[in-house]
Amino acid sequence: MDNSICQVYEDIIQSLEEEIKLLAEKYEDSQQESTFFSDEEILMSIKSFQREFQGESKGCESPSDLKAQLESLETDLSFLMKFTGIQFTSHSKKTVEKTRNRTVRKHRLSGNCHSLSFQLEFQLLEMQNKESVSAVISDLSIIMESGEDSDVSKFVSSTEEHGNLLTFFRSLSSYAEWYEHRRCTFLHFK
Amino acid sequence: RGKMDEGKAYSPGGVFAHLEMLEARACEAATKKEETERQEEKLARLKARVEELRLQRDELQAKVDLQQKRQLGKEGVASAPAQPSAQAVLEWKIKSVEAMLQVFYLTGISGKLTKLGVCFCISTAYEGTYLDSYYLDLLTKPEVQIHRHSVPIFIPLGQIAKKYLQTDIRRFLSVLSDHLNAYAGRRYQADQLQEHFSDQIEGTLQRNSLCNLLVFNYNVSSKRKTFLFNVRLLYGDLCCSLPTEVVISCTPDAPASLAEMAAAHSDLFRRVALHKAFRSFSSAEENMD
Repeated sequence: MDNSICQVYEDIIQSLEEEIKLLAEKYEDSQQESTFFSDEEILMSIKSFQREFQGESKGCESPSDLKAQLESLETDLSFLMKFTGIQFTSHSKKTVEKTRNRTVRKHRLSGNCHSLSFQLEFQLLEMQNKESVSAVISDLSIIMESGEDSDVSKFVSSTEEHGNLLTFFRSLSSYAEWYEHRRCTFLHFK
Repeated sequence: RGKMDEGKAYSPGGVFAHLEMLEARACEAATKKEETERQEEKLARLKARVEELRLQRDELQAKVDLQQKRQLGKEGVASAPAQPSAQAVLEWKIKSVEAMLQVFYLTGISGKLTKLGVCFCISTAYEGTYLDSYYLDLLTKPEVQIHRHSVPIFIPLGQIAKKYLQTDIRRFLSVLSDHLNAYAGRRYQADQLQEHFSDQIEGTLQRNSLCNLLVFNYNVSSKRKTFLFNVRLLYGDLCCSLPTEVVISCTPDAPASLAEMAAAHSDLFRRVALHKAFRSFSSAEENMD
């Protein structure tokens, strides 16, 4: 009999621990998503962080660790942007729903591919299955600079309708290259 | 020789047995008492832990609520209310760049630089649903080579690499991505068919690993009778998720009107995704009733 009471308490403890974990994540997400620091502020922080801990090693994250981590990530990002031709100029997200197995976020993304610029908004649902995480896009909205072009607007509406974000990016690369080529050709003949 | 209890007669052996029994009983009682005490201690500990956690949870909840209120009061993006430490700023930036890198996953090609080259990740999707992703660990010196990968064996990776890897990596990845996305799309359609329209499928849906050959039987109704169609879908273009060849056959006793239906279905399967085609059958039937 006592065992079952203990079990009840243990279940409560487990559910409280999960709740705490979720709340902590919600807080972190919200802090992250509502904050913005400019590049200058970042540079200043790196400098002041290094000065603060001159010769001192405090905790697990030394300034050189964080700086190295940031540099490695920025190198990867800049490589990807150069390689794919897709330059993201801004990105913001907002966590709309978060439970143990489900996270829903709204994303706003802008950038350009060669000379074509775009602005996107979409909702991303991520669900934790047994072995993997599934991701589904919905409410996709695309604004393209050359939106007056009827081919482009047809492509954009069809992409939006089916939430075809992946296809959008894959097509964008090839279209942008072709567009750039055409633009250069016209300029050449002017 | 022990004393004997009044009114009770024990043999010497019986006395010892009785004493042993009393001793055993006392032992048992002591153990039980210990056990009960331990249980009570455990219970007390658990109760205390629950209280501790409840307090922690309530504090966090209040923190989150305050955060929400602050955010509703301001328009657009606000900077942190208190002066953030340099470390906090850096940590923010790191998370921000990580989030940007994750967005690349949604574009179809993402990756990271490695000591000896690059590790690319090709993601696949069907419309808005992201499916499996595949890794390619490339070495760049002395020439571009594939070190490791998770591309399935039935995708012609070797052929594609031979044609493009040395001359145009972007093209290589693009062609490989076409193959992988088409395969993922075909597999997705077959899975959706099995998941949502199993009541219309008779028997098992046969498919090969590349999912470019599907054979199955399904029910159709005409004039309130049901007939069986056998369909064979061949996806001749490996970069396409629609079939190039559709063969529908019916049983010999089927009426002639069914041939028209078969032709219509055959045309539909060539133009529309498999699960969407079946969805349109269901709604067409509903409309007819």
